[in-house]
Amino acid sequence: MTVVDPLRVRRIVAALLLLAGFVIVLFRLFNLQVLQAGELTLKAERQHEKAITLQGGRGTIYDRRGKVLAINLEVPSVFGVPTSLEDPTPVARELGRVLHVRPDEIEKKLKQERSFVWIARKVDPEQGRRLQRRPLEGIGLVLEGRRYYPKGTLLSHVIGFAGMDGDGLEGIEHRYDSYLRGEKQMVVLQRDALGRSVFPKGFTEQGPSSGHSVTLTIDETIQYIAEKELEEAVAASRAKGGTIIVMEPRTGAVLAMALVPTFDPNSLGSLYADRWRNRAVTDVYEPGSTLKVLVAAAALEDKVMEPQTILFGERGSMTVANTVVHDHDPSGWMTFAQVLERSSNIGAVKTALALGPDRLSRVLRAFGFGERSEIDLPGEAAGLVRDSRSWGRRSLASIAMGQEIGVTAVQLATALSAVANGGWLMKPHVVAEIRDGKGKAVYQASPQVRRQPISEGTAQKLTRILEGAVSRGTGKSAAVSGYRVAGKTGTAQKVDPRTGTYSTTLFIGSFVGFVPAEDPRLCILVVIDEPQTEAWGGVVAAPVFRRVAEQVLPYLGVTSQAPVRVALAEGESIGVRRAGRAGP
Amino acid sequence: MIERILDVRLIDNFEWRYLGVIAAILALGVLSIYSITHSVQAGRLPLYARQMVWILFGCAAFAVMLVADYHKIARLAYPLYGIVLVLLVVVLIVGKASRGAQRWIPIGPFAFQPSEFAKLVLVLVLACYYAKAPREGWIQRLVLPALIMAPGLLLILKQPDLGSGLSFLAIYSAMVLVAGVRSKAAGILLLSSLMLFPFAWEALWGSLHDYQRERIMTFVNPAYDQGGKGYHGLQSRIAIGSGELVGKGLYGGTQSQLKFLPEGHTDFVFAVFAEEWGFLGVLGLLALFFGLIMLSMEIAYKAKDVLGALLAAGVIAMIGFSIVVNIGMTAGIFPIVGIPLPLMSYGGSAIVATMAALGLLLNIKRRRLTLFY
Repeated sequence: MTVVDPLRVRRIVAALLLLAGFVIVLFRLFNLQVLQAGELTLKAERQHEKAITLQGGRGTIYDRRGKVLAINLEVPSVFGVPTSLEDPTPVARELGRVLHVRPDEIEKKLKQERSFVWIARKVDPEQGRRLQRRPLEGIGLVLEGRRYYPKGTLLSHVIGFAGMDGDGLEGIEHRYDSYLRGEKQMVVLQRDALGRSVFPKGFTEQGPSSGHSVTLTIDETIQYIAEKELEEAVAASRAKGGTIIVMEPRTGAVLAMALVPTFDPNSLGSLYADRWRNRAVTDVYEPGSTLKVLVAAAALEDKVMEPQTILFGERGSMTVANTVVHDHDPSGWMTFAQVLERSSNIGAVKTALALGPDRLSRVLRAFGFGERSEIDLPGEAAGLVRDSRSWGRRSLASIAMGQEIGVTAVQLATALSAVANGGWLMKPHVVAEIRDGKGKAVYQASPQVRRQPISEGTAQKLTRILEGAVSRGTGKSAAVSGYRVAGKTGTAQKVDPRTGTYSTTLFIGSFVGFVPAEDPRLCILVVIDEPQTEAWGGVVAAPVFRRVAEQVLPYLGVTSQAPVRVALAEGESIGVRRAGRAGP
Repeated sequence: MIERILDVRLIDNFEWRYLGVIAAILALGVLSIYSITHSVQAGRLPLYARQMVWILFGCAAFAVMLVADYHKIARLAYPLYGIVLVLLVVVLIVGKASRGAQRWIPIGPFAFQPSEFAKLVLVLVLACYYAKAPREGWIQRLVLPALIMAPGLLLILKQPDLGSGLSFLAIYSAMVLVAGVRSKAAGILLLSSLMLFPFAWEALWGSLHDYQRERIMTFVNPAYDQGGKGYHGLQSRIAIGSGELVGKGLYGGTQSQLKFLPEGHTDFVFAVFAEEWGFLGVLGLLALFFGLIMLSMEIAYKAKDVLGALLAAGVIAMIGFSIVVNIGMTAGIFPIVGIPLPLMSYGGSAIVATMAALGLLLNIKRRRLTLFY
């Protein structure tokens, strides 16, 4: 047959054509899957992926009695889906009316070529309800956890605050963020063609667990008392600010930490950002006469002085290393105890000179000055204690009066607590307990001894001297009727930032003490920064101590063991212990 | 004789390869359908299981076409064509409309698509026509077969089913080339213009404005791109391209799994496969398809008579055209006309018709060995 040959050619042609089809298709697929692969993959991802972070609710912060100080609320956030909007203008106008935001700003957001955009986060629940009642096209609501501080400004410096995305930014919220924050899960949400969110395969639907709750050692009531009294005192003296720390001497637990001026963590403006700092831990100041307590502690511990040791007061003026030291209240001969009672600079300088740099420095450092107290709050400063090898006579004299040394309020309160605690220096702390989401305790604070800078005997001697400073000396207005109070006033000149020398108008008036002296339950430090009316710690700070102690002692049920003074024939007075509250 | 044909021991190496390739493609198809639909509740029986039932039916059709003498089958060509034409008319009357076209006759829970069978019957009819007597003159060689094809083609285009219509033209052209046209040049021109039509189309098509294209496409195919501006094609290209070289892994396809890609289990099953298996997987699949075509060509080449050769050529044209156009369509170099991917797309009619055609091919191959019958 002659047809065989052309038929064969035709078959080959047909086969080649088919082959050509395959080759062209293959080339096209190579183009798509290899050459354009990156671009198309990007398109695919843009279409179906949106990474979101799921976060469990933030843990609650309680005071020591279980009162809520910080809690998570579910509040609505408004988002838009620009790609589903035909005309964003009327939607933006309506939204702007409800949310009180400029419509053109919303419109700009809604005009983006994106499928998801936040319009307003964590808005007022009422605004959310209004949007829910009148749903707008392409606008949606989700509930997000918002931090709420029910007590407003109370304890704001200690609690700190958490940001919009639930990150702790200041205070306890920051320091204990890893406990408080809910478990975080990065989930790449996949959206299907209808825009529904689809969780990727293998995702456990259990969701992230919520954060741990933190219980503070702070007592809300004591904190309130401290803040109220501090605010009144600062206002009365027209001071720049102030600090009160109330500490439990035996444990180092902080019962209150009040700072003025304060701020409301619920409505943070950037205006008062410098107020957010917890100055009681972050700021260093020269303590002035309150440091004499610790100079005295060093002298008593090293047997350089005894309470009855007699010193000459130089009639109020003494020259040390070409510098004249004055006493506010000139003295002749006086006992060492009277040096503290009268807050004699000359007596303190003589004590420091007698101690010498090594011994003084050793004890001051042992009391925790120049190092962080390791309180569980962020941003703590170590203070400033210069190397004792560089201390000359002039430095010794300055340090004896609480100058040339920088301390934090927490350091000073902790050091005085050590005196109250038989010489044992405790680690200060504000967190008592941490419980996980199921209520199981994961951390419980226990009193931690750091060291013992002075012996118990020294502490008792010092306590008696400090009682005298309140009952007979500069701290009279700190006396609490019915309780034995030990304490010391302080009036420090501030360094004028303009001249670099000690100012004659800027002072820090302070008082630090503990009560009851025989069995200290409270150590209270009051610092009034730049009072305008009166600089003296005995005038501006000591009364604040009294008013706080007067309210807190009965609140804590501390019974009075103050001695009733009975005059005896010899002219001596002895303490007769008055019975506390009688029986049950 | 039937025993001989069905005797497994007599399956030679060629046939093992032939059956192996078919089985592999079918398996990949079921796997892709499973991958895309396993998370969807669809009726009592999931789609992949239904596809497996269709494959069982297909195996039966394959066996029937294998066992019966293809000369006897060819004798039934005209009656079968008559039945198909009736069914195509029935489709237009009682047909189940889907996406703007009436292609299905509902039978109980299933839908029967006569146009799929019409293609195979067209192969039978044209082979029969050319094999019966030597056809002389251009009227007998070109016009008469075209007239035979015309009622079926018109009924299919009336549905409208552009894909099947083009398949009709492809089968006709291929068979004219192999058996009909005297002038080689004319035949080559005819077939090559048909094969290259998709790509020439792209050049022409690409020069048109969007609205012009839409008007033309909605005129010839109302099912085209309903409600989306090139959505189908774009999603298909994204799915294929984002598969990259090695793919996203089985069940890992995002575009298909998340329903961005429409018709993932039917006409666009190739995009699902390409997304999950990547270019390397695509190479493998194309090798399988190409292998199937090569084996089929060997059958056509070695057929012992004209009828066998023509039948084989028709079947090759039918399957080969579908493969190239379907993949070209999902890859975005051909308008979306609705042609299923042979052996892979979900659909009972297409599976059964294709497997019947492949059974017929094997039949042709076996008959050349049986010298005495």
